[in-house]
Parts: sequence; structure tokens; C-alpha cells
Amino acid sequence: MRTMLAVAADLIREATKRKWFLGLAIAITAVLVTLSLSLRMDVVDGALAATRLFGKLTRGPIQSVDVALRPVFMAVAAVVFYGGSVFGIIACADFAPTLLSPGRIEHLLALPVRRWQLLAGTFLGVLALSLAAALYGSGGLIVLLGVKTGLWTWRPLVAGLLSSVSFAAVYAAMLTASLYARSASVSAAIGFVVFISGIVSGFRYDLIPMFEPGVGRTLFTGYTMLFPRISALAGAAMDIAGYRPLQVHSLWSLLAGMLVFGGGVLTLGIWRFEQKDF
Amino acid sequence: MTRKRLMFLWMAILLLAAGVALMLYGEEPAPVTPEVTVNFPRRLNQEERVRMEKRRVLPAAPQPKDDGPRAPERPRDPVLAALGSGKSAVVVEANAIRNSPVGKLLLECILDDAKENPIEQLKREAGVDILQDLDRVALTDEGVVVSGHFANARWDDLFKQHATSGKYGDGATVYHPNAVEMELPDGGHVTRQPSESLATWGGQMLLVGDNEEALRAMVDRVEGRSIVEQPLLTESQTFGEIYGVISADDLAKIFPSDQADLAERFRSVAQRIEVHVDTSSDVGIVADVQGVDTSQVEDLGKSLGAALSVARLGAQQQEEKDLSELLDLAKVKPDGDRFKVEMAIPLEMLEKQLSKCGERRREREQRRRQKLQQQGQATTAPGR
Repeated sequence: MRTMLAVAADLIREATKRKWFLGLAIAITAVLVTLSLSLRMDVVDGALAATRLFGKLTRGPIQSVDVALRPVFMAVAAVVFYGGSVFGIIACADFAPTLLSPGRIEHLLALPVRRWQLLAGTFLGVLALSLAAALYGSGGLIVLLGVKTGLWTWRPLVAGLLSSVSFAAVYAAMLTASLYARSASVSAAIGFVVFISGIVSGFRYDLIPMFEPGVGRTLFTGYTMLFPRISALAGAAMDIAGYRPLQVHSLWSLLAGMLVFGGGVLTLGIWRFEQKDF
Repeated sequence: MTRKRLMFLWMAILLLAAGVALMLYGEEPAPVTPEVTVNFPRRLNQEERVRMEKRRVLPAAPQPKDDGPRAPERPRDPVLAALGSGKSAVVVEANAIRNSPVGKLLLECILDDAKENPIEQLKREAGVDILQDLDRVALTDEGVVVSGHFANARWDDLFKQHATSGKYGDGATVYHPNAVEMELPDGGHVTRQPSESLATWGGQMLLVGDNEEALRAMVDRVEGRSIVEQPLLTESQTFGEIYGVISADDLAKIFPSDQADLAERFRSVAQRIEVHVDTSSDVGIVADVQGVDTSQVEDLGKSLGAALSVARLGAQQQEEKDLSELLDLAKVKPDGDRFKVEMAIPLEMLEKQLSKCGERRREREQRRRQKLQQQGQATTAPGR
């Protein structure tokens, strides 16, 4: 375990030196600082009476502040989930190819580190990065709105956590793909294929009836059954953020399924890594 | 391939299969929980528009043929024409409310505590079936206007012992109440002359005026002899099951005692309050409050919004889930020198208040049935 964490920590150190992640941290901080300076909210006895953004009064109904902010929390959940996943696919695509690059991999394999620990540590490192970014963005917004309105809620944080679970499943596929084709482009492409297929899979109950019974419907049903239900989890994240009832039967089962799916794909990668000659 | 590597492969396959199974179970659509939706009356819907057009039975005011100033248009709906330009007038669409859940509760309360069914009594004595013939009831500063299908009503039979009648205008029959002798607690007698007067018009309206002058004024407005420049209610405002205009003084009386400050602010800031209520399920209320001073009206709107927010927190703390969910929908929309308030009252709350009427009546009827049954058994008992 300690070895895996050391590998993960090494990856995080490398990521912080990259422009992508520095840029992301600066961008999130800039948005939060801009909002904190430009957003003024007038709350009277728990009711949001007026909102000013850059000095301009925004016309909206006067209602309880937590009711008024529900659409904001839902929008933040959607941005963190989908935006965060897209950014993660692009920014993390070359971690595994870099790990496997000639010169570096031989050096790493010479260390007293098992192959599966290398891979698992890389995976954990990326997961930690995505979790940190999601929690920083959503947590920052919670603090900002909490100070301005007196409303403190943990719900947008849940969206951040759920987006990390979703990204874990996607990155497992990207990491495994790198072991077959050591290329950042291929890794990113596989990531996008899993991501988009996951969005479609999340809506399969609505899409399957649109197919005529036959080969096409069977193929679509089989294909979408295999992928993580990314859009279903995103919907659950937005429902939690917006105080709405969940549309899925069991969120825990969905979460466990996506984590186990990610674990299964990673194990496939480990199997490939174990038998590959460098 | 070594055993260790095969183990990874098998583990991967098992994990993938388990993951797919878990996701299949978890993704099934959850049972749909009914969302709280309340119909807030904001404008005329298609049905109300058709109803409004059917009620245009009065002829339009004649306009001058030359280029002189146009005469003010009068409402062609006789009930709206009768209203005049007072401070308050509320119209209840009795026919629409009767079939709503709230209407059924109100009906049970009307029938409660009555020895004889008043609806049956009125039907027998006057030939008017309130449940079928009544259309609208309008409450104004000057009196009450009741509209419906009264062509077969026997008003003379109903009022002959208590009033003297006479014709007025083109189609009105006015009933002047007779003086009434009343017994005082000390055994003495006093004769009282009621000031209210009644009139029927055209087989479709019953007007009750606070005094004869007010009654004659209502009839004059209906028959076009006097036209109000700015009617209190126009056709475009006849949406919802209850609608009307309330003065700030009248509205302030409705506030609970712990909101006396807010009531006083309404009195001083609000000029006109237009109200619309939908009773098709949970009761949805929309009130448009207008004032003169924009900043004072804005402050009043904020105070009302805060009061609704506090009420919602109170409902959450007392675990009144239905009320809390409906107060989620409550909002105040500011707009310059006016603001619009939307709020809902849960049907369950009204049921709790009004259901006692129905429960008492059902218990009485059950006791009466049991008594009749026992009497029937006693008469059919075999002789000795």
C-alpha cells in the first residue's frame, strides 16, 4: 500500500508542474475570486431579496434562499461532472504513456515495485487529482455562497465525489488502452469513447424503445449494458444538488457498479502489464 | 501463461461481470414520486376565455356617430357591470368550486348544524337548486350580486311574507323588506326596519344592496343608465375560481395577530390588491399588489418574502412536510411599483380545518339511520 501511495504522490508532484493543472487551479481560483468580489446577495430573514452581479441588479423572484439557489447548485453539479470529466480525459491522457516511455519504464521496473503496484498507484494518483479539483471547485462555491447568504450545504460536494467515481471508470479504460497502444491520443480517444458511450448508456431505458425490435435493438441493448452509466450518475448528482428525488432505483448499487467496473478494467490492464516485455 | 497472470484475467472478467450486474440493478428507473404542483392562476386560460365571451350578454355602450369623445366602454358581463368602482369586490365562481375538493368540504360545512338541508329547503320554497342553478357570487362594498339560472325561481313565493315588491328600471323587481318586530331581553318589543334591499334582474341575477340607493345604483349600471369610467374588474381579470380586488384595509384584517406590523405596512403602502385563486387541487393564490411609492413597495415585497421564508422554516422545523413543500413554491416577484405574490395552501390543511363539519354530519346521519332501523324492527316485531 505504501508503495502505491508513493507512486501516486510522485504522479501528483509531476502533475502540479504541468501547465494543464496549474491552469485549472488558477482558473477555478479566478472564478471564485471574481464571484466573491462581484456577486452581492441581499438576504432578509432567509429570503433572497436581491442579487447584484457586477453591479447590475438581476431580476428574480424573492423566495427562500435555498430554493432560489437550487438551480445554481444543479448547474454547478453538471459543470463539475461533465466539464470535469472532459478536462480530465484531455489532461490525464499522457500520464500512462509517459510512465511506459522507453527509459522511464525500465528504470521503474528496476525498482523494488511490483508491476501492479505501479499501475494501481498511477490510477490512484489520477483519481486523487480529479477528486481534489472537483472538491476545490464545488467546495469553493459552497464557502462563497455560505458566506454571502448564510446557506451552508454539503450537496454540491456530493456532485464532486460522484464525478470522481465516474472519472475513475473512464480513466481505468484509458490506462488499460495505453498498455496496448502507448499513445496519449489513443488513450484520450478511448476515454472519449467510454465517456460518450457512458452518457448514452445512462439514457438506455429511454432510447431502447426507439429501436424497432430486432438485431439493431439487441445490439444496442448489449452494447449499452456494458458501459458505466455516466449520465445516470450525473443526473443523480444534479438531483442531490437540487434537492430533488432520485430518478434511479439504487444510487449505491450504481456507484458500486461503476467502481467495480473500473476495478475490472484496471485488473485487465494489470493482466496485460504483467505479461508485457519491456 | 502463468497461473498468477491467469488469476488477473479471471478476476478482471468477474469484476466486469459484477460491475455490469450492479449497474443494471441500480439504473432501473425509480418509482415516480408525484411532484408537488399547484396551479397558480396568472392569466385567462382557453376555458375561461370561452366562459368570458359567453357572458357578454349586455349590449355595448352606444358610441357617438360624429368625431366627439368616445363614451366609456361598460362591461358587457352583467355581474361585472353591477360591481361599480368601489374599493373591494371579490367574485366566487360557485359553479366551478362546487366540484373541486375545497368546494365539497365547504358544502359539508354548509350542511353541518342544519336541522333541515338548507339546499333542499330553498329548492322547495323558491324553485332554486343552488347546486345546479348558481353560477357566481360577487361580494362588494355595496352588497352582494348572485348570478345563475333563475328563470324558474319563485321569488315572489319566497319573499311575499317578508317584503313588498315593485318594478324598477327595464327588468328589475325590487323587494323592500317589511319592518320586523323584535323582542328585547327585558320583554319589551321594538320595530326594526332593515336597510338592506333585494332585487332580481332578468331571471339571471339576484342583487342584495346595503341600502336601497346602492341597490338602485347596481341596477342602473347593469341596465346602462350609469356607466363607470374605470370599472373595478375587467373581463381580462376574470381568471381563477375566485378573483377580485381587495382594499389594503380589508386585506390587513386577514393577517394573523402576530403579523400586525406587516398588516400596518400593507395599509400604508398598498393601494390596490388584485387576487386570483385556483381551487382545482391544492389552493393556489396569486396576489398583485400595487402602490404609489416604488421604494416602499419594494421594501414591502422583501418583508413579505422574508415572512414566507420564515413560515417555511417553521413548517420544516415542525415537520409539516406538505406545508413546507408548498411554501417552496411561494415567491414574491417585484416589478417597479408593484409586486406579485404566489403562495399555496395544502388541501390537507383545509381538510383538517373543514373535515370536522363532515365528520359531525356523518355521525348524525349514522345515528338517524340506526334509530330508523330500530323503529322499523319494533313495528315489524311479531305480535303476542
